[in-house]
Amino acid sequence: MVVGSPSEEKCIRREIKMKFFGEREGMTRRQFFKGAGMLTVSAIFLGAFSKLGFDAFAASTDYIEKRAAGLYALDEKMAIRKSHENPEIAQIYKDFLSPGEVKPVSEKAHHLLHTKYGKDIPNFITELKSKQNEAA
Amino acid sequence: MSTVLTQGIINVTSDCRACDHCTSICPTGAISGLLGQRHKIDHNLCINCGQCLINCPFGRIEDASMVDLVKKALADPSKFVIVQEAPAVRVALGEEFGLEPGTNVKNKMYAALRRLGFKKVYDTEFTADLTIMEEGTELIGRVYGALGVKGYENKGPLPQFTSCCPAWIKYAEDKYPKIIPYLSTAKSPQQMFGAISKTYLPTKLNVNPANIYSVSVMPCTAKKAECNRPEFISSGYQDVDAVITTRELAALIKEKGIDFNKLPAEEADKFIGASTGAATIFGVSGGVMEAALRTAYEILSGSTLDEVDLKAVRGLQSVREASVEIPVKALGKALPVNVAIVTGTKHVDKLIEDVLAGRSKYHFIEVMNCPGGCINGGGQPIRREMH
Amino acid sequence: MSNIKGKVLKHGTQTRTMHWVHLIAFTILGLTGIAFYWNIDIIGNIFGGFANASLIHRWAGVVFTVGPALYILLNFDRFSRFIDTISNFSKEDFQWLKVMGGYIPFIKVDEAPPQDKYNAGQKMLGWMIIFGCILIILTGFPMWLWRHSLPAAFLGFCYDIHFWTAMIMILLVGGHFFLAAIHPKSRVEFSSMMLDGYIDAEISAHHNAKWFAELKEAD
Repeated sequence: MVVGSPSEEKCIRREIKMKFFGEREGMTRRQFFKGAGMLTVSAIFLGAFSKLGFDAFAASTDYIEKRAAGLYALDEKMAIRKSHENPEIAQIYKDFLSPGEVKPVSEKAHHLLHTKYGKDIPNFITELKSKQNEAA
Repeated sequence: MSTVLTQGIINVTSDCRACDHCTSICPTGAISGLLGQRHKIDHNLCINCGQCLINCPFGRIEDASMVDLVKKALADPSKFVIVQEAPAVRVALGEEFGLEPGTNVKNKMYAALRRLGFKKVYDTEFTADLTIMEEGTELIGRVYGALGVKGYENKGPLPQFTSCCPAWIKYAEDKYPKIIPYLSTAKSPQQMFGAISKTYLPTKLNVNPANIYSVSVMPCTAKKAECNRPEFISSGYQDVDAVITTRELAALIKEKGIDFNKLPAEEADKFIGASTGAATIFGVSGGVMEAALRTAYEILSGSTLDEVDLKAVRGLQSVREASVEIPVKALGKALPVNVAIVTGTKHVDKLIEDVLAGRSKYHFIEVMNCPGGCINGGGQPIRREMH
Repeated sequence: MSNIKGKVLKHGTQTRTMHWVHLIAFTILGLTGIAFYWNIDIIGNIFGGFANASLIHRWAGVVFTVGPALYILLNFDRFSRFIDTISNFSKEDFQWLKVMGGYIPFIKVDEAPPQDKYNAGQKMLGWMIIFGCILIILTGFPMWLWRHSLPAAFLGFCYDIHFWTAMIMILLVGGHFFLAAIHPKSRVEFSSMMLDGYIDAEISAHHNAKWFAELKEAD
């Protein structure tokens, strides 16, 4: 063996401590806590990352509030703010839906503005069609 | 009638990213698929609300489009194409043109629609007011009926549910057929507009109702299914011919090369274009309730409502309730009106079960499928930014 | 020329076990992940359909996380020594990087500068793999565990980070595999990590001269 090279035997001895069973013996309480601490820190990182992301992107739903505020602001700016005060509503009732007066759910209004749901629909359609045939 | 209904409004594209986020969004469990599996929508269960669409992290859910129908009608000189826009559209359309959410672009929107070739530009808000008249009167009738006032028998049971939201209507029909008598019989504003636009409007404008093509711009994908429902033919024609969403309108404006932000402020056309503040707030959860209470208060009490803002019904929580004292002139006493507001059909089940069991104390319940109301509808601009 | 004889233990049993576990988990994750991203049915079917592939992907992800974590837990000193080595960039390391260690055919080098237990390229790879794993793990678990409650935009963000990090990692690992198993100059290292852990002392003296000198000193 040439001078200066580490002997095979010594190298193995130096590293043998690192072998699986040797390691176990070698793992001190301190080492365990170090490792466990590191794992805890990584778990906290994972939680913190999700929380951070959640917060960062949860604010992305702000637009709903902003749109709502926009509608309420528009409402406040309107000259008329109650449905029954709409002049064209009065006009449509007087001219068309309930001639001469403002009377919601008149016969015509009922025909044009009301509907039926679910299993009543097929009969409702036949009814509508027969009415239209009468009118024609 | 249309291919839209048979193929479904909302579909997952074939390159679904399988992240499984949408299954928690869907209020009806219509979306099937495990994590890692391409998802699929059961169109019998789907209520077409489009919440999955605007909440898909990858934009892999699409809605059926009627833009081609609208373009064809606009290019057809024999057609008299008119348009209505829902309240929620005007505070969101600007977002597609670089404006802040909530910016009111109502008047620019009217101008843009005229430049797109619509002959007359009206407003769904008009029929929202009409809805309040009809639905409010219906509610008063039901309340009187429950109190035993003469002449108001068989008006229907209480509480009355709103019927403006087509997603909620389909949900009720599919899951709780027993609740149907409690639904207001009033059509939604969109369908009222359709019926009016082909009956009343032609008499005012002297056009042949057969030539009228009624388009609506909605923040909603369920409205596309609603306009194709077979019972909406009371005008003698299909009441509303085509529905496009806020997103599709923005795309049309961009495609036409209109500089939206430089448009002048214009007004809606007359006869069925005027609107009130009560109709404007239809677009936000609690708005229908507030509008109905404003009108009901004045009609029932005969006096003016001083505090117009009913803050008690506002907010974005999924279930809210309030009680309003209304002095009723005809009865000579004050009547407490209990109301509930639900946003997100997921949260309505408990209320419905209470109603069916006869435990409900409410008189009027507003249900809107999308969290926050129509302003967060499935047809609105999709926002993905980080704040 | 061979005046150095014998063998040196380069990688301990646990290191090698961890490397194997990580390698297998990474291969499975990479394959299934690619199948998801491009919707490749063939790969999906190998794993029993996309739903099962996803299940395998997730549990392989657990192995991918727990494997190294357990290794670090059991070998904290060794891990800190590893971090110490790869974070120590000396003048020789930069010189090594300049000539790319002589691995690139058209850069002619007489003799690469002496290196630690890991050469400059391996040090960089070490860091990239550590950071890549952290990013992939941090974005992966939220996408699985909290997919229903996280905001859609965050989910999309996680998905992008997960995908691009994975893509870079696959390329890096591909290069690592080429140098460690195929390249004629360095494939001698293959057995030290994949098999018995030993490497010829002569090769070590040549490739990792500084480390070899340290060993000699400790001797």
